[in-house]
Amino acid sequence: MAKGYRMKGFMLASVLMATAALSACGNNGNNEANTAATNSTNAAATTEASTEPTTEAAAESPAADASKDEPLVVYLNDFDDIIKPMFEEKTGYKLEIVSGNGAEIASRIEAEKGNPHWDVVWMDSMPTIDQMGKNGQLLDSWQPSNLDGLTDFAKGLVPANNTYFPTGEHAASVIVYNTKAFDANSAPKTWDDLIDAKFKGAIGMADPAVAAPAYPFVAWFFQSEGMDQGKSYFDSLLKNGVHVYPKNPNVAKALTDGEIKAAALQESNAYTLKNAGEPVDIIWPAEGAPASVRVAAIQKESKHQEAAKAFVEFLLDPATQQALIDKGDESYFEPSVKGVNAKADRAADAKLVVAEAGWAGEHEGEIKQWFADKAVK
Amino acid sequence: MLRIWTQGNRTGWLVLAVLFLLILLPLIAVVIQVLLPGVFFGHFELGNLSLLLDVFRRPLWYVSLKNSVILGIGTTLLGTILGTAIAMARSNWAFPGAKLLDFAVWILIITPSFILAQGWVMFASADGLAAQWLGWHSLHSFIFQPVGLIVVMTLSKFPLAYLTVYSALEWKVDRLSEAARLSGGSSWTVWRTIQAPLLMPAICSGAMLVFMDTVGDFGLPASIATIFRFPTLPYSIYSALYTSPIRFDMAGALSFYLVLLIALAMSVQLYAMRKSRYDFLSSRATRSEPKKPRKGGIYLVIGNIVFLAVVIGIPFGSNLLMSISGGSSAGKGRELTFEHYKALFAGNNDMLLEGLTHSLEIAAVAAVIGLFVGFLVAYVLTYSQFKLRKTIDVISLVSLAVPGIVLGIGYIFIWNQAWLEKIGLLLYGTPWILILASVAGVIPVITRVVVGAMAKVPRQLLAAAQMQGASFSQRVVSILMPLIKGAMLYAGLAAFGASVFDLAISSILYPPNFMTLPVVINKAFEDLQFGYAAAATLTGGGLVILIIAVMELLIKPSRKRVKS
Repeated sequence: MAKGYRMKGFMLASVLMATAALSACGNNGNNEANTAATNSTNAAATTEASTEPTTEAAAESPAADASKDEPLVVYLNDFDDIIKPMFEEKTGYKLEIVSGNGAEIASRIEAEKGNPHWDVVWMDSMPTIDQMGKNGQLLDSWQPSNLDGLTDFAKGLVPANNTYFPTGEHAASVIVYNTKAFDANSAPKTWDDLIDAKFKGAIGMADPAVAAPAYPFVAWFFQSEGMDQGKSYFDSLLKNGVHVYPKNPNVAKALTDGEIKAAALQESNAYTLKNAGEPVDIIWPAEGAPASVRVAAIQKESKHQEAAKAFVEFLLDPATQQALIDKGDESYFEPSVKGVNAKADRAADAKLVVAEAGWAGEHEGEIKQWFADKAVK
Repeated sequence: MLRIWTQGNRTGWLVLAVLFLLILLPLIAVVIQVLLPGVFFGHFELGNLSLLLDVFRRPLWYVSLKNSVILGIGTTLLGTILGTAIAMARSNWAFPGAKLLDFAVWILIITPSFILAQGWVMFASADGLAAQWLGWHSLHSFIFQPVGLIVVMTLSKFPLAYLTVYSALEWKVDRLSEAARLSGGSSWTVWRTIQAPLLMPAICSGAMLVFMDTVGDFGLPASIATIFRFPTLPYSIYSALYTSPIRFDMAGALSFYLVLLIALAMSVQLYAMRKSRYDFLSSRATRSEPKKPRKGGIYLVIGNIVFLAVVIGIPFGSNLLMSISGGSSAGKGRELTFEHYKALFAGNNDMLLEGLTHSLEIAAVAAVIGLFVGFLVAYVLTYSQFKLRKTIDVISLVSLAVPGIVLGIGYIFIWNQAWLEKIGLLLYGTPWILILASVAGVIPVITRVVVGAMAKVPRQLLAAAQMQGASFSQRVVSILMPLIKGAMLYAGLAAFGASVFDLAISSILYPPNFMTLPVVINKAFEDLQFGYAAAATLTGGGLVILIIAVMELLIKPSRKRVKS
């Protein structure tokens, strides 16, 4: 009987590894067998696990030269598939990418602060990266060769200590309207139009407390008009029945579903809708569309500084930016270097404005909390 | 007897150490951020403890706490009643289609809640499938309010109660009921005074699981948020962790309240079950065999089909429609197409395949390790006199209620300390960190299922065997295992299925160039590729179900032989 049961015990082996481990470990021990089995599992875990960190440890030990075999680790949001092969082919360095949305990446960087795993961060969140620079987390005072090639707008964004460099700017929000509801005349054309009573309940926007690109959008109002004016603008907007959605894709969906008739929508979401044949049109407000700036920065303690610098040089190369615009997924942006042509269907009169990074970084918590608490009231 | 006890003690310490390392330490690492914000980055400064009181001052936090309590209590009550009722019906009566019910329950358990919730949103939103196809316009206003959310949550979480109660019903001691009937008790009296009280431990465990899974759930509030603002504690924790500026101290403060909720719930459970003994299973126990109902069988079949159409049909039907409809808008059915499925495996796009392989590997290893740990935990809880049993019990449940992102951040704090590199244990940045975190995630389910089964195997059975000279391994293999085999199988498969889709853990912990399935799916959601995401979900989910079904089939024949 006992034998029969044991046979079945083995039949379950894959699920009941416990059984197998215990029966294999001798008969006389009580706890010994038990402990040994667990220990062997732990030991297995340890040995197997240790093989990987060892290779990594070797790769990242300061003594080792940054040879071309060791991968450069880049943390980025909105991953463009073409970056990796292009960079590897052009420079010979190996590239490893961790992508996620801006908040995931920022959270990961923050949690790794004691022992960073990244060499370069390349993200839309300029205020966050500006704060990282002020906290001494970024390599400073290094000058990429194409710094002079930056557009005037981009030059104004580089901090005095050169901790990060803009690689492109896009509108955190433009005005998008459903052409079934409005025509070019009746649609809202300026940011102030959105608080006009005739658009009551018809407007949507992404939640600045949740969506990453919505913060640079609202930050510009708060900085250029002052905190109180900013609050009063968004108070009026909320009173005018604005629909607040967690993220930009939700805003886009509400717009095509007819739940809202116009929206403040992030640029690439807006053009994606239009290119998909949805009945929408895009308006660039004359006073300017608040910009989200994508910047690249090198980790201060990075052990692959040569490769990291090569990556930043690569991003500031006009050929790279042109390739991103022509072939990339996130192709709607204003290039940060001269000699690159933006997407042909991107409005020629697209005017970008931007909140000062230091100010936006310092007030980020306060402004987002204001929105979060406002929303539950 | 003495040997069993001392052994229990050693195993007890071992189990405690493992649970501490896997679950409690990462959680402490996050909660301690309130007290010592920079402790893992080498600076010691006292945090601002008034953050803990902010939960009563900040409107968002206060609403989150209130919503979590309402949702948790409501879902626990409804879900436990529903799960218990269905488990008893399923175990008493045989009816065509009963197997489908088992199948459905598994699907619900392994499906990540954000996918279920997304399905419900597509179904019930103002322009959803219910309004468009069935003309049920009032459904929208019913679902998107607290009671409606409790109903949706109940329909997603009842399987935990069902499984626990159902596996407890696997064996029964008819003598007790027969004696009661001979003494003149009506069948209702017998149920009320004998069967139901004997089921209490399983029902309580089930309720506990439902409560924890509900208060720790992030997917539902996140998906519903597009239509109806219902922030809960996990939602606000997520905001603190995933919104710049990243505030670990705020997440710590909110996690503290989540832990407090669990502690309260556990106290209630312990109070309700004090002084009871439940190891009623003796050598006279028989395997329960469902009987054909004498009349009304057809109602069971119809009831079952309607029930499945709601709990499975609505969420998955909506996802299915979305995966085969063209255009960007969800569920509009403008045209039916298989383009999304083609895109999954098109050309050089091997991301999905790679992610799927990684996720299946991680889940399989995590399920096996989790089963091993879970078995030891359950053994200590059930048979040992280890003095810290209650502590083990509490820790083993904690990770159910603590959102994956909190554990994930905690894992980075713990496993990314520079000194670990010297001893080769810098697990962060390797796939092992995903496995460890998944094990932590599946321990509650495994432990509960196995404890429920072990509670009915009396210690005397094992003691008797030991008197005859059977070693620990012989006792486990020849006595314990055959009796709890079904539960072990359920536990292992549930753990496997749940790990495959654990988005929260893998999005924060995945190593460079190591995509996992949930990360791929989530990226598609964020890129507005709803169809692709739904197709990837259904393909991955289908594969997992296939694996589970095959595993169940492999085990089945041996069961029949036990009977003969």
